[in-house]
Amino acid sequence: MAAKKRTAKKNTAKKTVAKKTVAKKTVAKKSVTKKRSSKPAKKSAANSARPARRGPRSAAQRVSGLLVMLPWIMQRQRVKISTMARQFNLSEAELVEDLQMAAVCGVPPYTPDALIDVYMDDGMVIAEVPLVFSRPLKLSTAELFAVSVMAQTAMQLPGANKKGPLASALAKLSPLMPAGAETIKVQLPKTRFVKELLVAVETGERQEIEYFSPATSKRTARTITPRKVFEDAGRWYVAADDHLSGEDRVFRVDRIEKLAGVQIFDQLREVRDDELPWFSESLQQVTLRVQKQARWIVESYPYVSRVDNKDGSVDLIISITSKHWLGRLLLRAGNGVKVVKPAEHKQLASETARSVLARYQTTVS
Amino acid sequence: MNLLALLVDRAKPLTLRQVRQELGKQYPDSDEAARAAFERDKAALREMGIPIETKTLGGDAAGEVTYWVNRSNYELSDLRLTDEEREALQLAVATVHLGAQHGEEALWKLGGERILGKASMSVNIGLVDANMSAITDAVMKRKTLNFDYKGEKRQVDPYGMLSRNGFWYIIGFDHLRRDKRVFRVDRIEGSVLAGEARAFKTPVDFDVSAAVPTEKQMLAAGDGEVTTAVVLVDAPLAPGVRREFGESAVIRDREDGSVEFSIPCANLDGFRLWLFAMVDSAEVLEPQSVRDHVVQWLESLAAGK
Repeated sequence: MAAKKRTAKKNTAKKTVAKKTVAKKTVAKKSVTKKRSSKPAKKSAANSARPARRGPRSAAQRVSGLLVMLPWIMQRQRVKISTMARQFNLSEAELVEDLQMAAVCGVPPYTPDALIDVYMDDGMVIAEVPLVFSRPLKLSTAELFAVSVMAQTAMQLPGANKKGPLASALAKLSPLMPAGAETIKVQLPKTRFVKELLVAVETGERQEIEYFSPATSKRTARTITPRKVFEDAGRWYVAADDHLSGEDRVFRVDRIEKLAGVQIFDQLREVRDDELPWFSESLQQVTLRVQKQARWIVESYPYVSRVDNKDGSVDLIISITSKHWLGRLLLRAGNGVKVVKPAEHKQLASETARSVLARYQTTVS
Repeated sequence: MNLLALLVDRAKPLTLRQVRQELGKQYPDSDEAARAAFERDKAALREMGIPIETKTLGGDAAGEVTYWVNRSNYELSDLRLTDEEREALQLAVATVHLGAQHGEEALWKLGGERILGKASMSVNIGLVDANMSAITDAVMKRKTLNFDYKGEKRQVDPYGMLSRNGFWYIIGFDHLRRDKRVFRVDRIEGSVLAGEARAFKTPVDFDVSAAVPTEKQMLAAGDGEVTTAVVLVDAPLAPGVRREFGESAVIRDREDGSVEFSIPCANLDGFRLWLFAMVDSAEVLEPQSVRDHVVQWLESLAAGK
């Protein structure tokens, strides 16, 4: 092995960690914010972005990060600095700094046979002679909760093996779980064709579908190449190349009436979450005044902005996918909601109501 | 970190005096400042999940406190996960997004790693509510929760939680109503306050999934006099309704592809929302009272009042 370059001499280290404050530029964590502010689905999880890190990392944050990283690196012994930095959402400079801090930690009298033997050499992080800090910390309640929710959700996914390695991993984790973990459940919607679409994503096979669009109230036959299947706020979606419009589109799986492979295979292409094409056309913004009795609108639809008025009403700006869709919303909301602007939609509620009413006037029941 | 290393390495309780001797210049010279620095480090370690045990000495050293850490209190025991099991967990974490990083952190502790590529499938389960960590902690550890809900102060023993259709629900015993109730997490007003751990027992026959009514059950759970209505749904939408309510709700298929369904409507507000989601593709045929209710709603809206 090449000559080791110690990052710091341990016997010179006399600083406490807590006193060491490092001001540095912040590096925002990879944001997972999605372009979904205008999605006509439930809003609840709409802001499910990982909070971006702001401000310099505190010494305590850095130490608690190290207590996770050190056992991890000791298990692997050699990892590229760049790989490790990416894994832990740190810049390489931050990682090097943290590892240098670890390397100067030890026990009096700080002789070189100290506790933490981590050093960097030739772009690699190398850990040897694990002594202390070699075992990871116990999982926190939040972490146990996350693991159990993620794993039981994954077990519900199409194609999951109920007796596979995930199940046995969960069984091994179960002694760590507090009693209350048993009564936390995630229910995924059961929607047909999800499994078939997943297979299509993996094979690239084009699918012929019959799709109902509430925005136009029409059913269309189209051919799509599925690229990603995902669940969000209780609904399954498929992102696909739509050969009818020639665009990338997102379809709701529960609105697919028929689905069949057509034996044409396209080259595989992966779509990242932040690339999902929620809408192809530019959207119109509408301002609604929502009275108290229709407050559920505020909770159920994604909005662009919200202003609370003194009288208890709320002014909401929403993006609409079509006039038909807005009409439907107004019909459901009743007199608790009025369109403030644009003027062209001010009469939409009564127009929509009249069109539905026409049905009741012509039918003899 | 040096404090932790020292306490672990010495494997016997140390007094603050001994700690200061060992760590030398790392703590300030003045007693007061050194004590403050030590307390701060101790609190920081506790925060990280490393409890520092303390004991007040008697005899000659009466009043002096000793400190030590017990590794078995904070170190994860080896779960002996196989590579396959670790990979399965990694895949689960990569597929299911919680909007919080705890899953990744758990993976690292379990020796796994985040998968950084793109997945062909993903599931989003939002955990973003500001109260979420306090609530999950309370459910896991059986702590009683206090919060404001619909303008009232509630005290709830959270028996369980359910994520459905993008919402998180708490199901628990509501001390105000003296009964089991369901709360939507995002409708909690302000922040929640949790009590002591192990404050209550969850009934043995408790079933989380059954405790939260489905949309279908919600339509039936009202105090309206009429419990079902006959609804005609046009051909394009009929298959969806048939899937949602099942074959037993079908009264008859018409020749043009439209279908007559029997739909619960005891909860008229819920029923109307469901009905109007189909705009003019559905129509209430019977009973007359429900039909009249719908017509009245439409007429008032048409008049723009």
